[in-house]
This record gives sequence, structure tokens and C-alpha cells, in this order.
Amino acid sequence: MTSATPPIVEVNDLVKIYPATRGGAPVRAVDGVTFRVAAGEFFGFLGPNGAGKTTTIRILATLTRPTSGRATVAGIDVLADPSEVRRRIGLAMQTVALENMLTGRENLELIGRLHRVPAAELRRRVDELLELMNLTAASNRLAGTYSGGMRRRLDLATALVHRPTVLFLDEPTEGLDPQSRSALWEELTRINRHGTTMFLTTHYMEEADRLCDRLAIVDGGRIAVEGTPVELKRSIGADSVEIALAHGDGTETLAGVQASALARLRPIDGVIGVELSASGVEVAVASAQAAVPALLRGLDADGIRVAGLTMREPSLDDVFLRYTGRHIRAEEADRPLDLGWW
Amino acid sequence: MAAATAFVLETRLLGVRSLRRTFRVPANLISTILFPLIQLFVFSQLFKDIVSLPGFAASGNGDSSYLDYLAPGQVTFTVFFAVAWSGASLLIDWRNGYLDKLRASPINRFAILAAELINVFVGSTFMGASILVLAILLGAHVVTGPIGFVAIVLLGGAFGVAWAGTSMLPALLTKNEQATGTLALLFFPIAFMSTAFVPVALMPDWLQTVNAWNPISYVIEAMRSLMTVGFEGDVIGKAIAATAALGIVLQGATLWAFRRLTS
Repeated sequence: MTSATPPIVEVNDLVKIYPATRGGAPVRAVDGVTFRVAAGEFFGFLGPNGAGKTTTIRILATLTRPTSGRATVAGIDVLADPSEVRRRIGLAMQTVALENMLTGRENLELIGRLHRVPAAELRRRVDELLELMNLTAASNRLAGTYSGGMRRRLDLATALVHRPTVLFLDEPTEGLDPQSRSALWEELTRINRHGTTMFLTTHYMEEADRLCDRLAIVDGGRIAVEGTPVELKRSIGADSVEIALAHGDGTETLAGVQASALARLRPIDGVIGVELSASGVEVAVASAQAAVPALLRGLDADGIRVAGLTMREPSLDDVFLRYTGRHIRAEEADRPLDLGWW
Repeated sequence: MAAATAFVLETRLLGVRSLRRTFRVPANLISTILFPLIQLFVFSQLFKDIVSLPGFAASGNGDSSYLDYLAPGQVTFTVFFAVAWSGASLLIDWRNGYLDKLRASPINRFAILAAELINVFVGSTFMGASILVLAILLGAHVVTGPIGFVAIVLLGGAFGVAWAGTSMLPALLTKNEQATGTLALLFFPIAFMSTAFVPVALMPDWLQTVNAWNPISYVIEAMRSLMTVGFEGDVIGKAIAATAALGIVLQGATLWAFRRLTS
């Protein structure tokens, strides 16, 4: 992130406390969050359900008032001038929001006209989006007849019809089959490449890893750590290389071979640590790809034979576990159920 | 001024959306008219001779048939069915996120509510006109002619806008479709206590007192006057006043509840 261009999203010490509801204590959904998203960046919040992701997006989209803290979108304070913020944002929430009794085209035109997109430009834009989302053939059918994947794509198109500066995506691929998911990933990447700043929330590590230039790992309403996926994975140390050792001719035991391997590998450049494993040794290195040739050469020089080799990079789940102390799957309620009166 | 123009544009765009939601489902229109149509047909036969009761003639409806007497009440029943689910549409938008989508657009949020009222008004007038046409086909007469017909239908539309508050307000307060739908059924006892079926002279004393506060009766009386008597300014004036009072109270409260929901 360069400091030359001002950030598109700037959030400082944001807090949202939902008041206590029946049988519950107040919920600190967002508990002091600070971050910045640069123009053109694809930024993500990765965390379990209940981490405060949706609440943060709702505040940025002017739908929920923060309890304290400050949030600006395109330099505009969300509390001071919400309508100016609304002109610049696109929003696709976890639940697809369409008018079922309008056709795909009519859904797009309605949102476009509410955003005051000029008629000629709107016609062009709607055609373009229908094409992009692969909905042209279905454009004159009622949205209520669309499949789940089509509804998701139409919903995304309604968020883009007015060419927003920044697109907020709350769990955009939730409930999609793997094929639709990867198709949507490609579309999101393309939209971002055309200059739209993206802010995405997800609890799919693969999604965050694949899409985001930079991400924040959130848990319990707080940002645990922030960085590029590569930085984050590197920050928890290391790749690991698991080497299975051969000891088949009876003159040597596994323990003996392991001891020789341990002594041989430790001093090699780039090796962080070596531990015994069930079938050989496990070597922690900064980069598996860079280290493997040296490791193999070292063992070969001492006549230690290698039976097998496995490289493993740390996943974002490892990162999540490291920074939050738990796996990403654990769930909590994000927002108290709104029961109305009585 | 620019704000007012913007509000009108947004209301129109969203109003068209609501109207399409209503009119693109033929089942909506048919189900709305079925109940009052059966009532109109069966009761006009079943109680045909009720008009010869003493007190009925004295109630100032000339020598019109019971069908003529019954038709205005069935217009209000039709209007009720046309607006009975107006609160549920707000709840559907709220629950599936469409309300959020609209709120995240640069529009006046009250245009969302105004659009629903446009839908309620158009739906009420259209359905009211439909039942009135069916009544005429069954043999009812409108002595004031086409102008009277239009006046009856517009009165029905205005009543629809006011009465929609009995669905929209509970919807916004309870956020529960079931409670909202069940509460809407309160229309029935209130309508049965009105002059929809029998004139006030045939009511017991206590019911006459209650009836004096029943807005539905004022609306029906004005419609009936247009059906069977002529243009009676005071009767029509009272209906307009009753509808306006009902509308201001119910829709005012709805506006407050909507503001609360969307802030």
C-alpha cells in the first residue's frame, strides 16, 4: 500500500455493541477495529461466523451505526454523509436480495435508475453486466425462476450497475457449489482488475487465499493479524519437509539413520529445525522449494538413503490457529435475533 | 425542491416494482375477490327479503334491493383483502435483505414506504372496481352513474391506504408474519359490526353506540349513498373525514415504526 493515494476505506477504532436482548448480555460484535484499504486493492476479512465481519460491512455500507470509532469510505465519513457514501458503494450481502417478480433485466434497471445512471448508459451497462454474468439468455425471465448460482450472479450485477468505487461483499460464495464458486472467483478477480476496490468477508480460507491481495484475520470482533496471504503464512515460520528414511538392509536401525540424518541436516543453511518423525525426520525450513536440493545433497553425501519426501506449506488455517488459538470453524452468533416487540 | 422531485421519482420507480409484484401473480387478484364475491352472491340471495323489515326502509335507501345495499360493504371487504398482506411485503423485504439493498442506495428511505402505499392504493381501487362491476353484472345499480362509480372506487382506494396501516404497523412492530396476518383478521368483527349487512336502525343500542365510532361504517354509508341515493355532501364528507383520521393515526404510526426500523 502506497501512501500517495488516499485509502478508499479507512476505519479507526470501530466499536459496535448490540444492546442486550432477551436472555442475553450486550454483544460486542466489533471491538476496536482499525484498518485501511487502498484504491484498487482486494482486501478481505477472514474469520469465523460471529467474528464481526458482517457488522463491519454493515457499518461501512451505512446500514448500521457504530457505537464509537470512525469509518470513512472514499474519504467520506459514513455517519456525516451517508448518501454520498451510498453513491460510491456496491453491496452484495450474504443473502441474495432480488425482486423475484421482476426479470433479471428489470432488477438491474431498477437499481441503476435509483442510482440515477443516465438512460443510455444504463442500457449499455445492463447489457454488459448480463453478458459478464452469463445471464443474457435468461435476462427476460423472472428472477424468481433463477438457479442459486444465477441469483448470486444477478445480485452481484445489481451491486455493480452504477460502477461503484468500492464493492462490499459479505460471504459472496456462501451456499454455492464448487463450480459456481470458482466461476464467481474469476468474475470477482476480473472486476477488481478493472479498478474496483474490493472488500470481502469470508470464512473460506481458500477464498481469502485465492482472491485477496491483503487480508485481516478477525476473531471476536478484533483483528488478530493483518498482511498478504504469503506474509501471513511466512510469519508463522516455516514450510515443512518430511523425509522418510530407508533402513532396510538389517545392519542399521531407523533410530540410527535418524540420528545421522539429524546431525547432517541441522547445520545446512536455511534449516530452522529438525525433528524426528514416524518414518524419518521432519525439517522446518524457510522455503521448502529452495531448501530441498541442499537437504538431499547433504543426506546423499553421508550415504543416507531417502525413501520418500513430502513438502507442506502452512495454510491460512495454521495462521488462524496460531493467532487466535482456535480453528476457524468454531461459530458464535454474530447478531442477536431481532424479535420486534413482545 | 430537488429533494421533492427525487422523492417522487424514487417512489414511482419502487411503486412500479411493487405493482408488478402484485399484478404479475394472477392468484393474488383472484384470491382477493373470491371471498367478497361469494358473500355478495350468497347473502344477496339468502337475505333478499330483509329489505322489507320495518326499519330497513326507514334507513333511507329507497326501494333498492338488498344486493344494492350489500355491494358497498363488499367493496370494503375486497379492499381489505387487497391490503391485508401489505405489512407482510415489508417484512419479506426486511428479512431477505432487499430493504438493506434499497437503504444502501442513495434514495430517500421513505420512498420505500410511499411505494408500498401506491401499490395499496392502485390495488384497492382496481379490486374495488372489479367487485363493483361484478355486483352490477349480478343486478346492482349505481344511481349516480359513472361518476358515482369512480367516486365509490376512489373512496375504496383511500380507505385501502388508511386500513393498510393495520397490517403495516403490526408488521414493523412484531416483525412476525404470523402475528401480523392473524391481527389483520380483526377486520372481520369490525366489519360485521358495521352497517355492511344491516342498517344501524336494526342494531341493538350498544352496537349503535359502537357503530358511531366505526370508520368502516362511514365509508360504507358514503358508498351506499352514491349507489342508491345520489351525491350527498355531508355523508361523503364524513367518510372522507373518517378515512383521513384513520389514515393519519395508522399511517402516522407506521411512518414512525418504519423510521425506527431503518435508522
